[in-house]
Amino acid sequence: MTKASSQAVAEGEKGAEPGGLRLWRGHDGRLWGRATASDDARSVRVCRLFPWSQPSEYVSLRDAEDEELALVHRPEDLDATSREALEVSLAEAGFVMQIESIDAVEEEIEIRTFSVQTSQGPRSFQTERDEWPQPLAGGGLLIRDVAGDLYAVPDPDTLDARSRKLLWVFID
Amino acid sequence: MSAAASFDTDRKIIERYTDQPAWLPARVRAGIEEDFAGDPVQLYALADLDASLNLAETWVALGPNRIALARDEDDAHPVVRSFPRTSIREVRLEPGLSCSTLCFLGDPDEPALARVRFTHRQRRAMENIQFVVEQQLDGRGVEPRDADDVYADAVAAPVRDAQALVASNDMAVIWRLLSYLQPYRGQVAFGMVSAAMLTLLSLVPPVLSGWIIDNVVNPVQQGSLPIDEGLRRAWWGVGAIAGAYALRQACAWARLRWMAVLGENVARDLRTELYEHLQGLSLSFFSRKKTGSLITRVSSDTDRLWEFLALGVVDVSLSVIQLVGLSAVLITIDWKMGLVMTLPVPVLCWVTFQQGERMNRIFLRAWRKWSRVTDILSDTIPGMRIVKAFNQEEREKQRFDARNRDVTDEFNALHRVWTTFWPILMLFVRGMVVLVWVLAVPRVLGDSPAAVTLSSGDFVTFLLLMTMFIAPIDIIGQMARIMNRATSSAHRIFEVLDTQPQVVDQGDPVRLEPVQGRVEFRDVTFGYDGVRQVVRGISFVVSPGEVIGLVGPSGGGKTTVTNLIARFYDVTGGQVLIDGVDVRDLDTGHTRRQLGMVLQDPYLFHGSVVENIRYGKSDASLEEVIEAATAANAHDFLCKLPNGYDTIVGERGHTLSGGERQRISIARAILHDPRILILDEATSSVDTETEYKIQEALDRLVADRTVFAIAHRLSTLRRADRIFVVDEGRLAEHGTHQELLAIEGGTYRRLCELQQELTGSRDAARPKLTPIEGATT
Ligand SMILES: Nc1ncnc2c1ncn2[C@@H]1O[C@H](COP(=O)(O)OP(=O)(O)O)[C@@H](O)[C@H]1O
Ligand SMILES: [Mg+2]
Repeated sequence: MTKASSQAVAEGEKGAEPGGLRLWRGHDGRLWGRATASDDARSVRVCRLFPWSQPSEYVSLRDAEDEELALVHRPEDLDATSREALEVSLAEAGFVMQIESIDAVEEEIEIRTFSVQTSQGPRSFQTERDEWPQPLAGGGLLIRDVAGDLYAVPDPDTLDARSRKLLWVFID
Repeated sequence: MSAAASFDTDRKIIERYTDQPAWLPARVRAGIEEDFAGDPVQLYALADLDASLNLAETWVALGPNRIALARDEDDAHPVVRSFPRTSIREVRLEPGLSCSTLCFLGDPDEPALARVRFTHRQRRAMENIQFVVEQQLDGRGVEPRDADDVYADAVAAPVRDAQALVASNDMAVIWRLLSYLQPYRGQVAFGMVSAAMLTLLSLVPPVLSGWIIDNVVNPVQQGSLPIDEGLRRAWWGVGAIAGAYALRQACAWARLRWMAVLGENVARDLRTELYEHLQGLSLSFFSRKKTGSLITRVSSDTDRLWEFLALGVVDVSLSVIQLVGLSAVLITIDWKMGLVMTLPVPVLCWVTFQQGERMNRIFLRAWRKWSRVTDILSDTIPGMRIVKAFNQEEREKQRFDARNRDVTDEFNALHRVWTTFWPILMLFVRGMVVLVWVLAVPRVLGDSPAAVTLSSGDFVTFLLLMTMFIAPIDIIGQMARIMNRATSSAHRIFEVLDTQPQVVDQGDPVRLEPVQGRVEFRDVTFGYDGVRQVVRGISFVVSPGEVIGLVGPSGGGKTTVTNLIARFYDVTGGQVLIDGVDVRDLDTGHTRRQLGMVLQDPYLFHGSVVENIRYGKSDASLEEVIEAATAANAHDFLCKLPNGYDTIVGERGHTLSGGERQRISIARAILHDPRILILDEATSSVDTETEYKIQEALDRLVADRTVFAIAHRLSTLRRADRIFVVDEGRLAEHGTHQELLAIEGGTYRRLCELQQELTGSRDAARPKLTPIEGATT
């Protein structure tokens, strides 16, 4: 691990201020970091503490053993390289599909099928019939399918009339 | 057999419900295998997100030597990039909310060999690849299975677990349901004939009324018929009307009575078939399905089918006949007025149907809000102590009140809709009646007798028949809903009936009388799903009467090993033998009767203690029961109960403490007198004092049997002849307590040291606390 990490250190380290948390993207494409200049570099994954209510604050950085390397309160307080590296990882970790319009909602015996257009492309997915979309703070809606994938409707009011009509059952 | 069928279902599920191929497209496979220099694709998965997190289609395929990433470009050859499996140093799965990443890492200062991104839908399939690569990194191979089946199983699993079948054609389901009427053909025919008679007889009074007016009332008033003759005819007519009504009600009675009984019989047949089928299904089925959902299938779903069979089938088919018949009669009486009445009927049916759909949507919304009300209840009532402890009653009241108001608004909206609809619909129907009058009046009166083109009798008949239009329109409008309810109930029932047990006895099973208790594992591998093996090549021989302690970290596979001995599941590789016979060749039921289990959470059925102790041996005498209870250290506490052995223990034995329930379940096992006994953490959830009592009882129980005892507290294994350490699905160490302690750096030795430390510090911290027996509930 140690050998690997010292070699994985990349350009991000140049000009590191001693003492502070540093993050950078390694050659291998992963996020690497060290809590203080004297620590070993470790590859970390990001874990948002409040993915829905406070997505841009409070990020826990966890290493392969699931130990917390650091808790970042506000990513903007980091230096530019670290912030950039962190933001890429955050985008990936916080990724959910965004529903742009709804083509159909079909009730079946135990499941409900949604056919939707997302900003990522067309998709159909299923939820259990007694599983309802969750309201998000700020008026949005979050749907979780049987496989665990998440689909967000950030602002139902901006959808087209047909989608809104199909969604009417699920929003307050 | 059933396995192939289940993969077919998996593929159907993928095709019907997801937007991805049910297998690796042939072109892509050809491209990959060309890149692999002819080697086959052993395992594959779909990476459905690209680097910019848009939905895409990149295939990850594993060959014997290489891993390939392939994309099918529309016109050209598929784009394939591959790297040797030996260049992988590490494989990492990084989970995200909806996008997970699988990283194949090569040399540390090189860029990653590959990073693929995918949604949770692909996760099981990707984990299969990850597992095989990890095994390879540990220097182990995994037997390849059919790549298409593994992929189909992994992708279909989430949908399949929610709904095990592709909702097939509703008509097919209805036909299958009707086939249950087959044994009751006679009764069905009788019911149908009664119902048809009922309809026909309903036509008689209106027609007779018209006849009386035209042939009695009018002639008498005009003086063309003598009053005596008129009275005679009239009384005949009235008598006939009375007769028709009486006969009609008799038919109504026969129809309701016969069909109700018939529906009940069919529901009973379905319940029995369902319950018998459930008893035959493998444990894997029950671990997938929620208990509640299985219970409603046997109870409310069969009940709903009663409704359909008893009332729906006849009502719907007759309503159609009735409408057609009525229309025909009306048109023959007078085609113009007939058309006024009949032409709008299809429109009315359609409007009623639309209304039903609209109500469905509103109802769904109301139901969602209703579930939020019940959520609060199921949340706070069990948690009442916490609510009170934190003094949150006021907030809970407000929360409930808000949701309660909310749902009331929805229900009121629902009521507004249907209460408006029916009066409007009826207004429309009345409008048709008025239109008929408008058409009829000039023709009945006429300017001169010659201009009268409609007799008043015909007109009366017409008016009376018109009132019979409304009921069938209502039923036909509801037909979609009736059929929907019936088909979804039928679907849920057939889903269970169509599930094949995974563990089945072969043609001529061996019966061991009695079982000696020699248990052998020969290179056994097993996995619950996918390619992940939970047991990986375990071999051992246990002689009759030996006591084996199974220890190891949790999740290591101890319970799974015992499940394989009991043949709750079949091995995927190797053999499990009892007395030298493969368990797959044994009569499973017969063998299980000589096998006993005491589990961590003892399950007691609703009934008295004595019934529970006798569960495995219903003909045991009371002496035997008392003897078993005494041996189980249960006799003394049972004597303290006011109802003694007749105490009813609740659904899950709630009135007793965990330790007491455990001792009853031990008594049950003692009475059952098994040749092979499995103790799965039988003492884990009780305090030390109770544990001592249970341990004493267990010591009596293990005598003269082959015993597999799983324990967390190693101290409870002092009676074991040998100890097996099961770790990550392997038999890591085995031998006597002393032998294992002697292994420098051995797992068992480490576990022992760890536990001594723990108990040491715990006892030091609480020197005077002696747990009181029975205090833990
Ligand atoms: N019914 C099941 N379906 C799928 N996986 C299971 C099932 N039961 C156990 N497992 C998995 O098998 C592994 C071994 O479990 P188990 O035999 O219960 O371990 P132990 O008894 O040693 O704690 C665990 O990783 C567990 O998650
Ligand atoms: Mg276990």
